[in-house]
Amino acid sequence: MLSSHPVLQGVVRLAAEATEGIERIVLCDDAADAAAHLVKEPTCIVVIELDGGSVDPVRQVRAAGADARIIVLSNRIDGRQVLDAMRLGADAFLPNPDGLRNFDETLARVVSGERVFPPALEAEAVLQVGRLARQARDRSDVAPSITPRELEILALLAEGLTTRQIARGLDISPRTVENHVAKLYRKLEVGSRLQAVARAATLGLIELR
Amino acid sequence: MSKKTPAQEAGSQATKRRLGVVVVEPLSVVRAALCRLIEDDPGLEVLLAVGEGAAALDAIARVRRTRVVVLVSLGLDGEHDGPWLIRSIRERYPAYTLLAVGANADPTSISRALFMGADGFVDKSVEPAAFLDAIGYVVERDMVLAGPTVDTVGLIADGLERRRDLHAQLTRREQEVLMVAAEGLTARQIAQRLGVRERTVTTHLGRIYGKLGVGSRLAAVRIAARAGLVSVGTPE
Repeated sequence: MLSSHPVLQGVVRLAAEATEGIERIVLCDDAADAAAHLVKEPTCIVVIELDGGSVDPVRQVRAAGADARIIVLSNRIDGRQVLDAMRLGADAFLPNPDGLRNFDETLARVVSGERVFPPALEAEAVLQVGRLARQARDRSDVAPSITPRELEILALLAEGLTTRQIARGLDISPRTVENHVAKLYRKLEVGSRLQAVARAATLGLIELR
Repeated sequence: MSKKTPAQEAGSQATKRRLGVVVVEPLSVVRAALCRLIEDDPGLEVLLAVGEGAAALDAIARVRRTRVVVLVSLGLDGEHDGPWLIRSIRERYPAYTLLAVGANADPTSISRALFMGADGFVDKSVEPAAFLDAIGYVVERDMVLAGPTVDTVGLIADGLERRRDLHAQLTRREQEVLMVAAEGLTARQIAQRLGVRERTVTTHLGRIYGKLGVGSRLAAVRIAARAGLVSVGTPE
């Protein structure tokens, strides 16, 4: 169990005690800690509380244990996060704290091999699938394709760097940077850096943080 | 007083009229059953029922409705298959809602349908009530997947991402060459089909292999197939 919140720990403990087949609870500090534990006990159920947007803890745990069952708790309803968790093989995804209400039921279902994703969350993940489809479609219209170098420059533009800063960072001349940027404007059919960054984000070429 | 079905909700928001549905399904018995099921829903009515892709596109031209859902069966095969029809309708009638329909369809086929512009997918293996609900929902939501399991949804997303990345890696010309190459033609035949010199084709292929990190046409075509760029056989 990856969480530092006593209430959550309490709920999970109660549910685990009520569920057949579960012997004990191990508290881990972070994903790396859990991963190390999985090496010794591969058939664990790992409860991960996500705090923020990244699903990296899930990725780390799944990489360490293909047989582990993973229950994710998250305090945000984010379609991309739910979809990522689905694709990483999470066995359940519950909203925090509403999902704690019937946690013992979820736990029992996960133990029996089910994948539990509440309809509302699954619908959000499906919306994200829709976005992926649109991105793929939009990108197929962009011709010719963006080169890796241009992608690098796009990412740096998105961070707000100037031509000089980008040139220094990539160890190329400012003139070369400007050439790449001009080509990007043509390929993306835009007229400014702002538009280029916006269009690239819409196409899924870069992520805006 | 019973609750309104999703289709009735969708319909009643605009006018009191039923939502119009076009059914494109090659198997005649299934087509008949779908029509009967749809007509049973008080919020839906069948505008048109067709068994073939090109004929469907022609017939749709004569539909005079603004709110239409077109059910496109992924069982359509040949040149005017499901993905072809979805793309064609999307291009000509962008206001129509497109719902791809499959029978235990595999994730790659579903990804392909969504990529071409379907607003959702429903599997014929769901309960009839859920099937009708999906038709109502797809008009309101940005995406509907009714039937696929959680595992399958993940695989659909994988397929779309592969497709997205493939489009980013290859130029349009390279994609054209790869799609034709997937038909098993020789470089000379590809050149004839695309109206270019044979040497141009081999140059393109070389660049494609380099970008995809493969050493053979078979490997390149396999990547294209997994990304849904080319179809290998029909889903049903």
